[in-house]
Amino acid sequence: MDSEDDMHDANDIESLDDFYSGETAMDSDDGDENYGFIDNDSDASDDSTSHRPHRQQQNYTILSDADIRQRQEEDITMISTVLSIPRVSASILLRHYNWDVSKVHDAWFADEDRVRRVVGFLEKPVHDATRNVTELTCGICFESYPRDRMHAAACGHPFCTSCWRGYIATSINDGPGCLMLRCPDPSCGAAVGQDMINVIASEEDKQKYCRYLLRSYVEDNKKTKWCPAPGCEYAVDYVMGSGNYDVTCNCSYNFCWNCTEEAHRPVDCGTVAMWILKNSAESENMNWILANSKPCPKCKRPIEKNQGCMHITCTPPCKFEFCWLCLGAWSDHGERTGGFYACNRYETAKQEGVYDEAERRREMAKNSLERYTHYYERWATNQSSRQKALQDLQQMQTVQLGKLSDKYMQPESQLKFITEAWLQIVECRRVLKWTYAYGYYLPEHEHAKRQFFEYLQGEAESGLERLHQCAEKELQCFVDDEGSQTKDFNEFRTKLAGLTTVTRNYFENLVRALENGLSDVDSHGACSRTASSKSRGGRSKPGSSRSGGGSSRGSGLDGSTHWSCEHCTYANVKSATTCGICHHHR
Amino acid sequence: MANSNLPRRIIKETQRLLSEPAPGISASPSEDNMRYFNVMILGPTQSPYEGGVFKLELFLPEEYPMAAPKVRFLTKIYHPNIDKLGRICLDILKDKWSPALQIRTVLLSIQALLSAPNPDDPLSDNIAKHWKTNEAEAVETAKEWTRLYASGA
Ligand SMILES: [Zn+2]
Ligand SMILES: [Zn+2]
Ligand SMILES: [Zn+2]
Ligand SMILES: [Zn+2]
Ligand SMILES: [Zn+2]
Ligand SMILES: [Zn+2]
Ligand SMILES: [Zn+2]
Repeated sequence: MDSEDDMHDANDIESLDDFYSGETAMDSDDGDENYGFIDNDSDASDDSTSHRPHRQQQNYTILSDADIRQRQEEDITMISTVLSIPRVSASILLRHYNWDVSKVHDAWFADEDRVRRVVGFLEKPVHDATRNVTELTCGICFESYPRDRMHAAACGHPFCTSCWRGYIATSINDGPGCLMLRCPDPSCGAAVGQDMINVIASEEDKQKYCRYLLRSYVEDNKKTKWCPAPGCEYAVDYVMGSGNYDVTCNCSYNFCWNCTEEAHRPVDCGTVAMWILKNSAESENMNWILANSKPCPKCKRPIEKNQGCMHITCTPPCKFEFCWLCLGAWSDHGERTGGFYACNRYETAKQEGVYDEAERRREMAKNSLERYTHYYERWATNQSSRQKALQDLQQMQTVQLGKLSDKYMQPESQLKFITEAWLQIVECRRVLKWTYAYGYYLPEHEHAKRQFFEYLQGEAESGLERLHQCAEKELQCFVDDEGSQTKDFNEFRTKLAGLTTVTRNYFENLVRALENGLSDVDSHGACSRTASSKSRGGRSKPGSSRSGGGSSRGSGLDGSTHWSCEHCTYANVKSATTCGICHHHR
Repeated sequence: MANSNLPRRIIKETQRLLSEPAPGISASPSEDNMRYFNVMILGPTQSPYEGGVFKLELFLPEEYPMAAPKVRFLTKIYHPNIDKLGRICLDILKDKWSPALQIRTVLLSIQALLSAPNPDDPLSDNIAKHWKTNEAEAVETAKEWTRLYASGA
């Protein structure tokens, strides 16, 4: 009502405006925020398409089997050279220190003798088989063999070939512990390295050992993990402490390096774990049963109520007719109970407190179930929409791009903007999906945050819808339509590329805002609420129709509160005189 | 007969166990199964088990010596590393087993365990707790059990 209120509004509209354009305070890393689209706007360059949806500087490396092998070899060579020890020993040492090169260095140079003792490197044999005997007795099978048929680790304890083979096979079959094999002599502890394995073990065991060694380099190493996608054999080497955990494997699977679940920004790993547990929880089914069914008073089978009417007839063979409200026999109902379909015994009983507790529990279960269902449905819908977009993208790349290229005489390299748009859609669907888990766990009592969140989510949804529609329907026109001109197609290019950039910016800011816990709202929550309802104009009542978020699907931006930039189609708030994206004047 | 192709090692070990038995230990193979041994261990002097004769069974699995022998007390014994089924908590019978160990070394280790109970690595929680909170009393119980169950069987 007063000037102070107006000021808040003005500020807030500005901040929302910033939210779109990617210039808010949430933008900590300005360095990579100079989007190609803006830079190259003047010459309408196609370079805008060279930007990938994941543009954060890469803080991880995808490793193939060969890469892993090579890195492992390099580390072994390095340790072997620096410490002047055989490669086999370097490998054992690295394995012992979980492939951490600097830990090996530190430990070795701090106390070489101790390290040697711990890992079982002997400087000279402890067991001196008398030089001139020709036969030795194996300490395992007790048979005597000529010297040359016996083997020993650095310690010199001799065992025959077949006992060694059995010993090694047993160890390899027991699992990766074979990488830390020791001399069979219980008092010894001398390390047995890959060199001995290669001389003695069967071909099959050698390969198993090799596999364990390679796996160890990934699994025992703190900064590497296998890609969790089924059947994928790539590993990911991650730069620890570099923040963002999102990783895209070469197999195209997108996952969180920290918890190895599917990528889930802006939601944190803990929330994802909760949400996944929630989705699989049997308790929800229990809630559903509790909310929608009651046991038949006669046969006790759960009966579902799926009509408004209170007159329930149990399924055959029971067929008992009863009242849903009071669970009494329907035959008792009638005038005496206040009318045929209006049982007032329920009200009476409720007043007497008879059904109160059970009914209240059922009501609560129903409410929490409805709430969960609301978020789950939207989460799942975006998930399937994302799957569909991935398929469409593939179809696009294998079929349509070729057609378009022929039709409008454009090299396929000029059509990258279409792929870009689809990749962006896939990415946005993923983000949008997780905002529903975010919304589910956003405390109900934080009204300002909830409203702001739902506003942002609603805008994200309609923005993405716009992009999705353009990439899907409008593009299809150009594929099908015979009369389209190259000129029209170039306009379409500008539009789709622009929408892609706008949507990308919006979602990136959305992700950051949610990751910051919507901290901007804390300081001036009240005005966010005002602004979000005002900026939607008369289209919706505050926090009502929008509270669903998903309900806004397909609704574009309102003409009375926004103007669409002629150049890039970006929807600018009414107060802005220049476009927030391309800086063209209105 | 199941013993027809008994590994040379088991035959040698058995011969040596019979010809030069370790002090306080006797082990003899069963007549119908050369992999099954009847074992007796005398309670070590200076231990709560002194004066007791403890019966055990020892079985050499097919994988022996790559796998450890299976050993179990048959006589009831009050010891923090032995449970009421007679199972023994001893590292060389599990992950520290080596094929270069033998029946003799296993039995000597069990004998040593009677002299030096280790309540920090218990198999029987109650007895271990008793041992840690009131060792004198626990030792008395062990002596009592020795008298009750392990005297001159
Ligand atoms: Zn041998
Ligand atoms: Zn040795
Ligand atoms: Zn992968
Ligand atoms: Zn995670
Ligand atoms: Zn019924
Ligand atoms: Zn009724
Ligand atoms: Zn513009």
